Amino acid sequence: MKFQNGYLHLAKTAVEDFRRNKVRTLLTSLGIMIGVLSVVMLIALGLGLKNYIKEQFENLGANMIMVMPGGGFGSGEGGAATFGAGLISGGAGFDEKDLISLKRVTEIKYLVPVYFSSAMVESEQEKEFGYLMGVNNDLFKIMNSKVIEGELFTESDIQVRSKVAVLGYSIADKLFNNPNDAVGQVIRFKDQRFRVIGVVEKTGDNEMDSGVMIPYKTTYGSINPNKTFWAIYIGVESKDNVTRVKKETEEILLKRYKKDDFSVTEQSELLSTVNQIFNILNGVLVAIGSISLLVGGIGIMNIMYATVTERTKEVGIRRAVGATQKDILKQFLTESVLLSVFGGVLGLLMASLIVLAVRPFFPLSINLLAVVIAFGVSSAIGIFFGVFPARRAAKLPPIEAIRYE
Amino acid sequence: MIKLQDVCKSYFLGDEEVKAVDDVSLRIEEKEFIGIQGSSGSGKSTLMHLIGLLEQPTSGKIILEGKDVSKLSDDELSMIRNKTVGFVFQSFNLINRFTVLENVLLPTKYSKYYLDFDPLKRTEDLLKKFGIYDRRNFFPNKISGGQQQRVAIARALIMKPKIILADEPTGNLDSKTGDEIINILKSLNKDFGVTVVIVTHESEIAAKTKRRIYIKDGHIVEKYL
Repeated sequence: MKFQNGYLHLAKTAVEDFRRNKVRTLLTSLGIMIGVLSVVMLIALGLGLKNYIKEQFENLGANMIMVMPGGGFGSGEGGAATFGAGLISGGAGFDEKDLISLKRVTEIKYLVPVYFSSAMVESEQEKEFGYLMGVNNDLFKIMNSKVIEGELFTESDIQVRSKVAVLGYSIADKLFNNPNDAVGQVIRFKDQRFRVIGVVEKTGDNEMDSGVMIPYKTTYGSINPNKTFWAIYIGVESKDNVTRVKKETEEILLKRYKKDDFSVTEQSELLSTVNQIFNILNGVLVAIGSISLLVGGIGIMNIMYATVTERTKEVGIRRAVGATQKDILKQFLTESVLLSVFGGVLGLLMASLIVLAVRPFFPLSINLLAVVIAFGVSSAIGIFFGVFPARRAAKLPPIEAIRYE
Repeated sequence: MIKLQDVCKSYFLGDEEVKAVDDVSLRIEEKEFIGIQGSSGSGKSTLMHLIGLLEQPTSGKIILEGKDVSKLSDDELSMIRNKTVGFVFQSFNLINRFTVLENVLLPTKYSKYYLDFDPLKRTEDLLKKFGIYDRRNFFPNKISGGQQQRVAIARALIMKPKIILADEPTGNLDSKTGDEIINILKSLNKDFGVTVVIVTHESEIAAKTKRRIYIKDGHIVEKYL
């Protein structure tokens, strides 16, 4: 009871004092506000970007190797730009001979030829831009995507070149009122008609979600007269084997192609590079935020020293009526911590507003970490920068303090 | 109740040692009403601070209720001040950002013991007793000097102290108001048996007490000249 009464009294007194000095209080907490705002925003931005990228990659199995024409991911213009460019160009083209030679690598569990082309997809009701992907069933296993309606195509669908298609969730949703209704319907793509036999769940991967997946041999003919593939996706059962399989794949392909004509990329390689970049970016941004927190803390220390001087006589009076040094220390520490946490809360509120405003365009997110940091860092700053002025107040000799005018 | 034994208190002004209180021995019994009279610079305020445990003696002993308090820690002294001593100052020493009520309540916030009374109830009773209950929500700088000193006396009394130490309590007041304050202190002693020590340079004020102690150049002297 008494304990609580004591802290309540201190907090109440401090808040009343803030109310009397509104401008000063606001200006003092401004430094912390900006600091916390930037740190929280940076975390939100960093996490948002990281999650976004991670989401994009997570759908591709972690033990995946991609064989692509040209420089691929790792070099050239880098990352997504090359990926996009690669999609459009169609590439040098691999064919079934490569599949046969790669099948000899025992550690390879899944082997997916990928024919890729983009065009309008039409249903009876709607028209929508989509990607035609000539693949086999292993794709769904590598991508970890499950059928939510209907079924996947079978090996015999591939061999007899059945005109059947499995739709990604987004495109099924757009072409048909209800994605569940898609099964059994007919879609048109480049003047060819395909019967929809299944719809797979949303993966977060844009190409996959807007994809019309058909048996790769079905593309042979007017769509893909050269019988080539844009890429080959390889799934390896064990993570430990990825590097070895990658090396063997390179060796096999080097027998047919020149070194620069293809690239073999480990999916985890890509992810770790991206992660590294974001970690560096995050570090730099957090450092910038920390500097503003430091400056804000010094501001609080400054104003607390002024407050101690201003209240020297009050300290003397309190000491005379029985306040211990610890009581005085607590009083000023409470004030500096409240001041700082007030700034922290303002910063957090501002950050939340910004995140809410930006959210429709970019997946920023404020997580528990950000909230903990906002409160933790601002209280820590309040304590750290408040303890020096508070100690000065506590150590004042009562008689000298009470005589101070 | 309080015994000072060969108490000295000296300060250093630069290299020079100034003995504000020099070898003073003194007994204050329970329920006494004492005047300590001396001119300015005589050391009477320092003596009061020593009696009130706001300062520690350079040498000598202070015995409070049979206990030597001259070597106690700062925390222990603060606790005794809170529980046993009430101060009344010349310049009132109220906290201007608190209301009259909050000022009187202040010592109860620092009690390290459970209080045997309801702080708010007692504050209101004291304010009523001193005729300033209608001023309870005023800030000190909005009421008269006489009223401020009554608030200060109420604050000194809130913790039911054994002793009230008043340092020139009438110094900032006109003589009529000053008399009223002295009468209040007198009645506290008479009606409630609180030990009251008034420190003053005016013999008229000191004359109203039951026992007068004269101090000059840090010494207790027989007769003030």
